[in-house]
Amino acid sequence: MIAFDRVGKRYPNGFDALSELSFALDAGEMAFVTGHSGAGKSTLLRLVALLERPTRGQVTVNGRNLGAVRRRGIARVRRGVGMVFQDHRLLLDRSVFDNVALPLVIAGVPREEMAKRVRAALDKVGLLEREKSAPSMLSAGEQQRVGIARAIVAKPPVLIADEPTGNLDPQLAAEIMGLFGEFQQVGTTVLVASHDLPLVKRMGKRVLVLDHGRLIDDFQPRNTGP
Amino acid sequence: MNRRIEKNRPKPAAPEPRGNFSLRAWREQHLYSLFSSLGRLAARPWATALTLAVLGFALALPLLFWLLLDNARGLAGNVGEAGAISAFLKPGTDVTAVQAFAARLRARADVAAVTVKTPEQGLDEFRERSGFADALKVLHYNPLPAVLIVDPRGDPGPLAAQLRADPAVDQVQYDAQWRQRLNAILVLALRGAQVLAGLLALAALLVIGNTVRQDIAGRSEEIAVMQLLGAEAGFVRRPFLYSGFWYGTFAGVLSLMLIGIVQVILAAPLARLTAAYDHAFAAHGLGIAQMLAVLAASAALGWLGAFLAASRHIVLGQPR
Ligand SMILES: Nc1ncnc2c1ncn2[C@@H]1O[C@H](COP(=O)(O)OP(=O)(O)OP(=O)(O)O)[C@@H](O)[C@H]1O
Ligand SMILES: [Mg+2]
Repeated sequence: MIAFDRVGKRYPNGFDALSELSFALDAGEMAFVTGHSGAGKSTLLRLVALLERPTRGQVTVNGRNLGAVRRRGIARVRRGVGMVFQDHRLLLDRSVFDNVALPLVIAGVPREEMAKRVRAALDKVGLLEREKSAPSMLSAGEQQRVGIARAIVAKPPVLIADEPTGNLDPQLAAEIMGLFGEFQQVGTTVLVASHDLPLVKRMGKRVLVLDHGRLIDDFQPRNTGP
Repeated sequence: MNRRIEKNRPKPAAPEPRGNFSLRAWREQHLYSLFSSLGRLAARPWATALTLAVLGFALALPLLFWLLLDNARGLAGNVGEAGAISAFLKPGTDVTAVQAFAARLRARADVAAVTVKTPEQGLDEFRERSGFADALKVLHYNPLPAVLIVDPRGDPGPLAAQLRADPAVDQVQYDAQWRQRLNAILVLALRGAQVLAGLLALAALLVIGNTVRQDIAGRSEEIAVMQLLGAEAGFVRRPFLYSGFWYGTFAGVLSLMLIGIVQVILAAPLARLTAAYDHAFAAHGLGIAQMLAVLAASAALGWLGAFLAASRHIVLGQPR
């Protein structure tokens, strides 16, 4: 579902953020990307969502070679990838409902169906009663959950999250990670970047470890599953 | 909780169910853009009103100028009909000779009509109009010549020249030059109005473009998020195009209202002017078709201005 084949990314300033990176994630598989700050975790996720192009190698997402995707095809690729951001990137002048509905509006889903799907997504993250609130009225954890609801409302086959628990307390962080685990169980391919190694290990999923843009470890923690 | 999620299991066989948009989706998106853009304008009523006022004036000015010219042309055309040639015959030409001369002229192809004004008629008219009736009584003879008033058909130039050369004719009065000058002035003014309209339309385009550019800058986060969520370029651009469309349309309505106000203000003096011309011409405003044309043109102008701004300024977040 997600495959990197000897991928390198050199930023325009000459910095090599990723080099010789190869791994593959099956459909419905979940993995964490971890590593020190600056290791290239965000860069890896940006390549999956076509926010950046690799300078070497080949990235395949949803069975499509992203190198062959032209400028006009980028939006379509992104609609197939749900994204969760550390700073959630909600639109503050719109209600929670409207924020979650945005991907459906973009996809041109009819209004009645839209309402149903938005409520289902909000229900899943436990925020059904807050649909009319402004995002600024929510706590950090709730905002992050709204961001997650927005990422999954259009049922993308791939879900990526960049430090989704970055500034949450440990209990909330575990809760959010648990949510991602649930999406994986319904067949979504999930890739989460996090530098919280203890938490990542506790999740019992596959872990990709980056170091200075190189994959130095790829393991499955032995202990508890969710 | 898992059971709830179960219902929303993605279909792996069709990973892109939203790939080709249905007609309904297309309509849904356009309605969304149409009303969200209207909402944006309404969200900042003062800024919007100010922009619309500038646009309204910019559109109303050339329209007013054009209307004025169009009316002036009607007036000039009317005055132009008074472009008859007056031939004053040599004094003492007797009545039969005058009639014979008139008959000869009437036979010509470039003459529409000839009116004979005998010296007696001329004197009567003069008495009536000048108020010199008493003074004229002193005269023992009639000093006025017979006059032929010739309505030319087609180009009056050669006819006037021939009349001037005729030995029976003393003097020819013909206001061709005056009319040519007036026509030249009107043509020049019309061209000026076109240039002005072009310049002001360009100004309106820039105003709309700049307004939309600011709108885009103020919504860069929204644009970026929409692009991250996979919005097509056209979808991101569309609300701004609709804003431009609304700006143009409302500005068009405003300019028509301005013209209406000007017409009301000018109504009384215009009535006096037409009365002075014995109602030989009627002042006119814009017709329904012309109003619709103005609206269509201003809406198109707004759309174009927004399109130029949007294609130039929405480029965020897209790798090549
Ligand atoms: N647009 C850019 N231009 C140049 N260098 C960049 C750019 N983006 C990232 N980098 C560099 O690439 C390296 C990897 O960045 P990246 O954001 O992928 O790291 P990260 O693993 O996500 O770090 P963190 O945990 O701090 O978020 C960093 O050294 C960063 O300075
Ligand atoms: Mg990062």
